Amino acid sequence: MRIASGGVTDVGRVRSNNEDCFKIVEPLHLFVLSDGMGGEAHGEIASAMAVETVVKHCLDFDANPAAKVVGTVEPKWSARTKRLSTAVHLANRNIFKSAEANEEQRGMGATLTAVWIDDARLSVAHVGDSRAYLLRGGGLLQLTRDHSLVAEQVRRGILTAAEAEESDMQSVLLRALGAQAEIEVDAEEHTLFPRDVLLLCSDGLTRVVTEPEIAGTLQAETDPTRAAEKLVALANERGGPDNITVVIVRLDKDSKGWFSWLRGAPRKNSGTNGTGGN
Amino acid sequence: MPKLSLMFENKIVKEVSVGTRPVTIGRSPDNDLPVDNLAVSNHHAKVYFEAGRMVVEDLDSLNGTFVNDLRVERATLHDGDNIHIGKHKIKVDASGDAPVPWDSGRKAAAPRIDETMVLDTKERRQMLQQAAAMGESMQFAGTRLKVPTLVVLSGKTDQKEYVLANKLTVIGKSAMATVRLQGWFKPQMAAQINQRDDGYYLGAGDKVPSVNGKPLTGPVRLNDGDLVEVSGVRLNFVFRE
Repeated sequence: MRIASGGVTDVGRVRSNNEDCFKIVEPLHLFVLSDGMGGEAHGEIASAMAVETVVKHCLDFDANPAAKVVGTVEPKWSARTKRLSTAVHLANRNIFKSAEANEEQRGMGATLTAVWIDDARLSVAHVGDSRAYLLRGGGLLQLTRDHSLVAEQVRRGILTAAEAEESDMQSVLLRALGAQAEIEVDAEEHTLFPRDVLLLCSDGLTRVVTEPEIAGTLQAETDPTRAAEKLVALANERGGPDNITVVIVRLDKDSKGWFSWLRGAPRKNSGTNGTGGN
Repeated sequence: MPKLSLMFENKIVKEVSVGTRPVTIGRSPDNDLPVDNLAVSNHHAKVYFEAGRMVVEDLDSLNGTFVNDLRVERATLHDGDNIHIGKHKIKVDASGDAPVPWDSGRKAAAPRIDETMVLDTKERRQMLQQAAAMGESMQFAGTRLKVPTLVVLSGKTDQKEYVLANKLTVIGKSAMATVRLQGWFKPQMAAQINQRDDGYYLGAGDKVPSVNGKPLTGPVRLNDGDLVEVSGVRLNFVFRE
């Protein structure tokens, strides 16, 4: 599959420093985003440490495929998903250890959302309230579930989704990197289809920009970097209450060689059976 | 800066701001917030900042410290909370910037209204218990797990039943689809179901599915017993116990 990506991070309109961090590792098709927390500059340290650890561990994939798996993994997962999940566990340990060793870093932490694409297979790993979305069939599908108090209350039927958006407890996380020595990491695998668009974002976007607006922007602007810029600008128009980070990954069919044309042909016929693609 | 207002019969008696130093509350006059009442211990409680959040801690008082009517030993405070000590109420105003503990002049502190924080497991349990007690504890207390399931009523698929275990379930001919449609002219990805916080949402793929006979116009939340039709296959969405 052909992949185009872009990302933007912005301090927003209220905060004085940007504690978000992201990294796009093009050759690996790895995309990592983290939102740090903690007094002074420690949120920045935590999110940078989270992203660096995950990227480093995944970059090592080819050179050292047999690296030890950390945390619980499902046997059916691909080696990449296991690797990614392990990387997030390692990031947690690094932040936790650093905070233990440095008095002034006490209480620092970070969210982490990472996707790793291997042709049509997608690995997702996630802790915290930074989200991964998939735009497909015109709708935005959420691939992560926030580890926040309000989201948990919605899952338990205590709050409705609308009440959760109004809640002043939105910043309370139930899970984050660095809070405890060991954590639970959510990981999953999905199949990607041509024309899928992936979006990773920190809560600075989702707090102020609605999902239909995000979906609309992704459909209207096909350049990943420009689409990310537009979303950040929209969040800033709404007051930019927090740091905003957006990473966009667009997938498309490989170049139109005769072989893919042959493979693609029967699929086009099936379109007459009902509504076509889009 | 965040502040505490000592109220008595709906009047503000005294206000103190919470800075980098703890605010002590008690009957003895050496407290930052003295409360002259026999039900209040000499050194009753203190309020301070820890890792960016405001915390109240009971100092082994005789009659206890209450936050929004819940007796606490130690609790995180939020804007608008009420601390009850004896017959007095202390209103919490956390809307200002949290104090910056280390050499404050170095950098303009970002307003910390929305400061993210993590609940450790003990506090988390308390918070969830409290939330559950607040109402609608039915779903919370019910430990029976409800498993969302798609039962195939008609049409060719690779299984008769599917448990929706992932956040995304793809219905289609694709080898990677969860619900694999069989037969010619079936779309690779006919429709999909997204697990969200408040339920399972059916969305269109290459086809527009219908729920209970109505074609989809946008993602729709599935209810127990709904009938889903897509690309010649009829599926029943049910929650299994």
